Amino acid sequence: MTDTLTLSSVSKSFGGFRALDTVDFVARAGEVHALLGENGAGKSTLMNIACGLYAPDEGHVAIDGKTVRISGARDAAARGIGMVHQHFKLVPAFSVLENIMLFNPGRSPAEVAGKAQDLARQMGFEISLSDKAGTLGVAEQQRIEILKVLVAGARIIILDEPTAVLSPEEGRMLMGLVRKLAEAGSAVILVTHKLHEALHHSDRITVMRGGRKISETTPEGMDPASLTTLIVGEQIIEKPQLSKAVGPIEVELENVTLGGEAGRKGLVDVSFRVRRGEIYGVAGVSGNGQNELSAAIMGLSFPSSGRIGMNGLGDVSKRGPGYRRRHGLGCIPVDRYSHGLAGRISVTDNYAVNGAMAGAYGGWGFFKRGLAQAAAREAVAAYDVQGVRSLGQRAGLLSGGNAQKLVIAREFEGAPRVVLAHSPSRGLDVRAGAAVHERLRAARDRGAAVILISDDLDEIMLLSDRIGVLNSGRLTREFKAPAERGDIGAAMVSHE
Amino acid sequence: MSSTELTDTNHETVAVTPPATRLRMVPLLEVRQSVSERLRIGVYVVSLLVAAALSVALLAWSGVAPSDLGREIATTAFSSPRALGSVLVRTAPLVIAGLATAIAFRANFWNIGLEGQMILGAIFASAVAIYDIGPENGRVVTMALAACLGGMLWIAGPGLLKQRLGINEVITTLLLNYVAFNLLLHMVYGPWKDPVSAFPHTEQYETFERLPMLGWLNLNWALPLAVGLALILWWIMSFSRVGYLLDLMSSNARMAGAVGVPVAGLTVAAILGSGAVGGLTGFAISAGVEFRMTQDFFSGYLFSGVLIAFLGRNHPLGVVIVAFFMAVLLLVGQSLQVFFGVPFALVQLIQAIFITCVAASEFFLTYRMHWRQAA
Repeated sequence: MTDTLTLSSVSKSFGGFRALDTVDFVARAGEVHALLGENGAGKSTLMNIACGLYAPDEGHVAIDGKTVRISGARDAAARGIGMVHQHFKLVPAFSVLENIMLFNPGRSPAEVAGKAQDLARQMGFEISLSDKAGTLGVAEQQRIEILKVLVAGARIIILDEPTAVLSPEEGRMLMGLVRKLAEAGSAVILVTHKLHEALHHSDRITVMRGGRKISETTPEGMDPASLTTLIVGEQIIEKPQLSKAVGPIEVELENVTLGGEAGRKGLVDVSFRVRRGEIYGVAGVSGNGQNELSAAIMGLSFPSSGRIGMNGLGDVSKRGPGYRRRHGLGCIPVDRYSHGLAGRISVTDNYAVNGAMAGAYGGWGFFKRGLAQAAAREAVAAYDVQGVRSLGQRAGLLSGGNAQKLVIAREFEGAPRVVLAHSPSRGLDVRAGAAVHERLRAARDRGAAVILISDDLDEIMLLSDRIGVLNSGRLTREFKAPAERGDIGAAMVSHE
Repeated sequence: MSSTELTDTNHETVAVTPPATRLRMVPLLEVRQSVSERLRIGVYVVSLLVAAALSVALLAWSGVAPSDLGREIATTAFSSPRALGSVLVRTAPLVIAGLATAIAFRANFWNIGLEGQMILGAIFASAVAIYDIGPENGRVVTMALAACLGGMLWIAGPGLLKQRLGINEVITTLLLNYVAFNLLLHMVYGPWKDPVSAFPHTEQYETFERLPMLGWLNLNWALPLAVGLALILWWIMSFSRVGYLLDLMSSNARMAGAVGVPVAGLTVAAILGSGAVGGLTGFAISAGVEFRMTQDFFSGYLFSGVLIAFLGRNHPLGVVIVAFFMAVLLLVGQSLQVFFGVPFALVQLIQAIFITCVAASEFFLTYRMHWRQAA
């Protein structure tokens, strides 16, 4: 077996911070190589060096045993390295073919179309080259991204957290595709947080921590616990803890119906109740009404019929987010960068919004930044938000886990009576995810009613006291924890 | 895409790959992880210096030697209190125009309708003057308020269309400039035409319908009005809850909405505020410079307003500083036209050079360059 891509003793610093420290990494043709590590472990930096976005300070990169200097993404593509980014880079208004051609300039449409169809067939999926990229689902868009680099002749394919945006089924299909790519002779590098992907779908695992390579191993003889220990340097095992004291009903959804986003079913007659001191998990395959449910509870969209009762307030289904939040609703939205934080402004300004709206920093004509900063400083310490060099630092520079901690610090500030958490650990590493879960349990234990919407069944099983299953916009089943994983899974995919 | 707010953590790249030859240096661009305030100011200053150097070179090429240029600037703007006075007279409406634009830009509303709002402001103010509305000793204040109202009415349509139907405000505000211009022509050629003059303009305002003189240099109240407005807006933008929430909104409107910020209300307030100040710009010129409504008093302010707001980084105090230099440039440009025969287009070209240089300097804030040998 040949060493297709070799990174030798690679180091890289950013303004005094050593992001990579003499890291060796080898990707071989025909193999799937999983790259694991916490946020900030250096995975992305390493892969950005591999595909020419960063120049290493020390060490060198070799392809097929020959040392190369890669001078940018286009050069990397010419040398057979293709990166599929976590955030897709397709032009929505262009057709699939046009998007592929954009990445492969100087070739005729007929040639590109033929090659794309051939490759798609080899990989076992169908594509329609004339569809607009913007109309495709996430999984299809991802396939187009993969096709793009394959048509360009990539033999070394880097996938950056490819399943983070996919549903479990789509993720499984992608893993099948990854295997086919390797069988066809490519070296596939799978950057991931998900242990089971590394354990079940890779041939080799490299674990990074703090900018160093900690271990290179094969999946045989490894299990999630041992892998976690390697990743975080200590053992983190979360165990379900059921509620000790369930109180009266705090939130009540009654026959909530809501039109869906384009092509989705929305919500149909959804009813459930959540009591104080309980975590109500909403399980389901993503795209079955989770976004609509979340928007309805946050107050971002109003149901066309039905009611949402909050204790002591009556029906709030036609009230905006401001009203609900003033009366004790706290939300951890699914996409912390679109609904949770404003990336371009400071940590303080992101934290301060509740206080400002409540008048804690002066009336409409004032914003006492000193007070806001003091409050933010306290919250950052209390919620252990790491990576804050100064409170004036832009929130967009925080890693996923710390960004989420900042959201939670703000949302839990007034001890909300009702908490909505939508896929709160998505994209987070094990340690950060566990920290988020701990906060949710703490909120429950102080008496909040917690609604947890997640397409990660493990997360649901771990946290929930009761579980409802959302299927095609309807709440089809309810379970009381501890429930059988298989039963919930069956309810998620059944077509009754 | 969900990560648009966080472009600096994405690893986008721009590949700069000239044909690789041996021993040739090629740049590799890395996306910066963070930008310090010092770097930001440094890059801004350097870009201004580059623009100034290019402008001087361009003028030298057109026959204005740098020494002549220096003398011209000194005489036109700074040689006497009177010269400084004329610069300041010119500065005042430019400040107000820049503020009007900056308010809308801060709320991500691209108001390209400043000239239309100025025209409506002048029409409303002139109506108050012509129809003798309100007491004489408060007439000029009534005119100012009417001007604000006119500007607000003119921007309300585009604001409503944007908020309700998502119709692009660049198009609507821009096109309404032409509607306003034709309305203006109708007024000054038709019902409001000055009976004692052949020129298309209204009758001269009475003395009490003009902005009173300050009694210092040749200045009137337009300058204190402009500076006062800038200070008020500085407070609102930088030290009030409104300004804080506007920042939050323009950084991420979806997030602001989700945490209960009254996004629609604040946006409407900013849009109407921008229109009101736009109307006030028209008032400041007709009641402070021309003492009547002429058919082209507004001309060029749209572009100047955008330029001042942009170069001033939408900061009220930045607007004041940039407007001052813009006034110097315009006056120096006038005397260069007279004494050196350079075309006015050259002045516009210089403005464009400054904009281009500052806009292009963003590149150095986004990327870090590494020079390395091509393989």
